[in-house]
Amino acid sequence: MTAVTGETPLQAPIQGNGLLGQPLDSREDPQLLRGEATYVGDIDLPGTAHMAILGSPVAHAKVLSIDTKAAEQLPGVLKVATAADFTDVMPLPCIWIPGGVESHFPPHPYGLPGSRPVLSGDTVRHVGDPVAVVVAETPRQAAAALAAISVEYEPLPVVTRADEALAEGAPQLHEAVPGNLNAYWTCGDKDRTDAAIAAAEVTVELDLVNQRTINSPIEPRGAVGDYNTATGEYTLYASTQGPHNHRFLLSALVLGIPFNKLRVVAPTVGGSFGTKGYLYPDMPLVLLLSKALGRPVKWVDTRTGLMNSTVQGRDHRQHVTLAGTRDGRITAVRCTSYANLGAYPSTIGPGVATALMGRSISGMYDIDAAFCEVYAAFTNTVSLGAQRGSGRAEAAFLMERLVDRYASEIGMDPAAVRRRNLVPKEKFPYDNGLGWTYDSGDYQLNFDRAIELSGYADMPARKTEARTRGKRLGVGIASYVAICGVGPSTRMSKEGMLGGTWESANIRVHPTGEVTVTVGSASTGQSHGTVFAQVAADELGIDPATVNVYEGDTLKAPYGQGTYGSRSYSMAAPAIALTARKIKSKLVKAGAVFLGVPEDKVVYADGKVFEEGHEDDPEKSKTFAELAMAMWYGWGLPPEIEPALDETTHFDPPDFNYPFGTHVAVVEIDELTGETEVVAYTAVDDAGNIGNPKIVLGQIEGSILHGLGQALMEHAEYDPDGRLVSRDLNHYALPRAIDAPFFTLDKTTTPSPHNPLGAKGAGEIATVPPAAAVVNAVVDALSDLGVQHIDMPVTPEKVWRRLRGESQ
Amino acid sequence: MDLSLNVNGRPEQFSAQPNELLVERLRDGLGLTGTKVGCDTGQCGTCVVRLDGRSVKSCLILTAAAAGSAVTTIEGVTTPGGELTGLQEALREEHGTQCGFCTPGMVMALGELVENTEHREPPTEPEIREWLTGNLCRCTGYHSVVRGVQRACSAARAQVPVEQGTAQPATAAASGQEG
Repeated sequence: MTAVTGETPLQAPIQGNGLLGQPLDSREDPQLLRGEATYVGDIDLPGTAHMAILGSPVAHAKVLSIDTKAAEQLPGVLKVATAADFTDVMPLPCIWIPGGVESHFPPHPYGLPGSRPVLSGDTVRHVGDPVAVVVAETPRQAAAALAAISVEYEPLPVVTRADEALAEGAPQLHEAVPGNLNAYWTCGDKDRTDAAIAAAEVTVELDLVNQRTINSPIEPRGAVGDYNTATGEYTLYASTQGPHNHRFLLSALVLGIPFNKLRVVAPTVGGSFGTKGYLYPDMPLVLLLSKALGRPVKWVDTRTGLMNSTVQGRDHRQHVTLAGTRDGRITAVRCTSYANLGAYPSTIGPGVATALMGRSISGMYDIDAAFCEVYAAFTNTVSLGAQRGSGRAEAAFLMERLVDRYASEIGMDPAAVRRRNLVPKEKFPYDNGLGWTYDSGDYQLNFDRAIELSGYADMPARKTEARTRGKRLGVGIASYVAICGVGPSTRMSKEGMLGGTWESANIRVHPTGEVTVTVGSASTGQSHGTVFAQVAADELGIDPATVNVYEGDTLKAPYGQGTYGSRSYSMAAPAIALTARKIKSKLVKAGAVFLGVPEDKVVYADGKVFEEGHEDDPEKSKTFAELAMAMWYGWGLPPEIEPALDETTHFDPPDFNYPFGTHVAVVEIDELTGETEVVAYTAVDDAGNIGNPKIVLGQIEGSILHGLGQALMEHAEYDPDGRLVSRDLNHYALPRAIDAPFFTLDKTTTPSPHNPLGAKGAGEIATVPPAAAVVNAVVDALSDLGVQHIDMPVTPEKVWRRLRGESQ
Repeated sequence: MDLSLNVNGRPEQFSAQPNELLVERLRDGLGLTGTKVGCDTGQCGTCVVRLDGRSVKSCLILTAAAAGSAVTTIEGVTTPGGELTGLQEALREEHGTQCGFCTPGMVMALGELVENTEHREPPTEPEIREWLTGNLCRCTGYHSVVRGVQRACSAARAQVPVEQGTAQPATAAASGQEG
């Protein structure tokens, strides 16, 4: 039994009834398993017309003319439009501009950095850049009409690599951005780092390509626009992970309509992994065309369309240096990175490519000097955005590759080098010198657990055994710290984020004792309905079955940023818990009236209020349901207590949270074919206090396989003309069920002090280290051949060539 | 052309273009939106349905080619809000779903595997993974799905009637006594 106390919310211990931490079944699952959930593609409003978008077939060109006459004559075609039809629509904005530098962006009428127009008029800058749009009675008619639009292009030279885009004489993408340099961004102490490297006993260097990959949610994006001619209100149904944020950006900054004239609804969303938090041209287009035609307008992307238009991830070329002593003490790390932003700055892409990556490069290590500089450049490729583990995965990859390279150079075991340099427990909160202050952690405990669980000590024997089967066994370790819990709004403003990043929750207790929780966050498959009910029920001491959760509809739910960066459980869930505490506080005050005893004698616990010491006396206690009804009637309440129970909290944490972990990959390489098989994978992650381990388990497992995908097979490859070679799932490999064995998983638990649940981000954190762990394992397996690095994806051909002595 | 299909036990007659895909008929023509479209190339498996009992990708079959056949979609597996099948229940217990977009296709593809379990050894983990290669999932990493199938197969074996083999424990059934 616990009581409401006067402590400040963040210091108060968890007061729940033991529901948190329980692996409750996902209440969303039965509907999903029956195929009854409604995704955007399943929405069928009466009178719906269908939209298709014509994307450029060339990567860079002047658009000389567009002839739409033939398309307009085709059966079922209702409207064909080009950029000329949308001259009064503002360009899509970019809202995360890296701080501390002068950035160059195409202009936006609100004085903001502009990203791209809804349709490109004069110039196209990547294959898939939208130039025209068709609305027809059926999807097939709309698609057929695209083929009848005639566009005359005058090709311009193409550049697809960030470093090449910055070179003298490179093709220029934007008039407002001379030299294609969007931003030069730095963090850390350059002089100190350079000096440490110059003075070091040992330095190692690597040139790394963190290849571009495609997030590939299985549901492509879609949007339905519905304009109400009677009220002048717009409704957008979209596969979005941030409906409130999209509402704000679209209404105020793109359409120029009042905020309260736009409703955004996220129905069931079929995965996102970062990609569905961005503004895309299709969103304003369906709304504008619905208004123009007086009918709902629906657009659902194809897979090929997704690959040529939805933001892509990673894509850094880096030169990295690590300095240390002969006996294994790391003294400095430095990174120079060329980040490929693609053709336009996506909604938050520039921040992902700079701050999220750069401030994370020192990982779990206590390093005296660190510095990162990023050149973020425009190229003729799809815009860059977030991808599961974004920024942090790129950082972990460079640091963990460097540590292995260093260990090899000084002849020490890679585990021993890591162990020696972990931030010690007593140093938290720890300032990493790059802009992050790690909140809490016991890295030694976590690291030792992973090493032990992986059977690391047995690897020499396993290597010998594998050789008898024609296999080379390699083992690779990767540790990481992942910033999560975005976040503190003021802190994010200093990073250049244009918008509050707090999260809110409302709890309404109905007269019958049931509870409705509404949150600003929005699930893309994380079982929020289950977990958030668990949080409210735990705090209120009631049955979670009586709690219903609504989100994803701006008309029904309070404002919030949405789901990204593994923030929902450490941002929205604390907002729910704090709101439940407000409800409890009110019930203690009201309980004093109802029970006729002083407030300091009233206790709220286990779903009822009672006079202290009389928990089981029905005369001196009231259940939650009784209180709900009494508060709804409001009879007998003094003027200082309002009737009803309806509370809201806006949660803006004091700082981020920093989950961490250590993963160990064991691979076997076939001597004959060069094929790499992950034969064992151990992960020990620390996400603080976990609300529902069953839900988190699935996210950890999926995240690891996603990371293995980057290591082994995924690559968004562009040809020299800027055409995406990996344009569909025949040409872009995603991991399948046969691509990994069951993983060995465990956790350590270090609560975060920055939210009342002690939670840290969990959803995507396990995507951060696998690529580094696997490449470290592959290099380990090939080390006797003199291999010091191998670029991702580690394809059989690349390995086969290295086995035969060819260089990279 | 005028065509007929038996869909989830109901005869359906309609007129279709020769190039219409079965998935278009199911989703757009018959409103059975449980079957999903995730790619253009037959790779992802979100559109899997059962055609005369065999699981097939409905985006790779013309409606005309399926004419006269019996089609079962995810809507034909359970009634709305009704009891889950053994496979669905096992996937629920193992949380073999996250965003759920690949889920109907997986249920349709895996149903065939689980049904066959009554008549043979339960599938091994590699066999289950092999069976799943036609279905992409980006959320779960497949592990919870594989565990769900293992659970479903164990449960299916445990329910084989006594006269056909052994009624209980699943481990005894796994020895393959009834072949």
